[in-house]
Amino acid sequence: MITIQFFAALKDYFEEKVEWPIHSKTIAELKEELAKAQPKAVPVLNTCRFAVNLAFVNDNYLINDNETISIIPPAGGG
Amino acid sequence: MKPLVSFLPPEVDKLSFITDKSIRPNILLSSFHNPAAGAVVLFSGDVRNNNKDKAVAYLEYEAFTEMAEKLIADVLIEAQSKWNLISAFCQHRIGKLYPSECAVIVITVSKHRKEAYLANQFIIDTVKRDAPIWKKEFYTNGGAEWKANDLSSE
Repeated sequence: MITIQFFAALKDYFEEKVEWPIHSKTIAELKEELAKAQPKAVPVLNTCRFAVNLAFVNDNYLINDNETISIIPPAGGG
Repeated sequence: MKPLVSFLPPEVDKLSFITDKSIRPNILLSSFHNPAAGAVVLFSGDVRNNNKDKAVAYLEYEAFTEMAEKLIADVLIEAQSKWNLISAFCQHRIGKLYPSECAVIVITVSKHRKEAYLANQFIIDTVKRDAPIWKKEFYTNGGAEWKANDLSSE
């Protein structure tokens, strides 16, 4: 099981914090799973970056059990 | 808990980089005067009452606080070392903000002005591009929209 944290615009489509069974090995695969679960979120999901342990990771990152994956929409600060 | 940054004045080092309280640039500025410094640059990113052709009533900022605090600490440390700054600080507000309120402040302190100017711009550009902070614009006509930064137009 992993935990997924959603922020900002993504909270219109997902709960803020979700326990998610691990079917995916990589971030790229997780992105596909999320797209299937919530097709309307795809335009936003495609612009997001992913983070683990407070650092950005790329699409090839291998997901470990019990990890928290944070999905980061494009920045709007300032 | 925000990471501690050794080059900050002690009363400022106690502050979080992400805050839900009003940012008061004039109060903060007074902590940064330093006998070794010839230049203090302060940037205040304020809420505008307009975006493109829309009238903005207020904004709501949200942050992934833990990650944003770390990112800001990292960029301050990088800027301090790159431009040999005497001090550098950045704080971003979250919650509901009205036009004219300060959303983000960057203060840089150096011996001469060039370093403080360059570092200040580097810090705000990095925060706007990478910090996990988001804003929702609420318009006077009742609509609302999440707005990402358009870095090409800034």
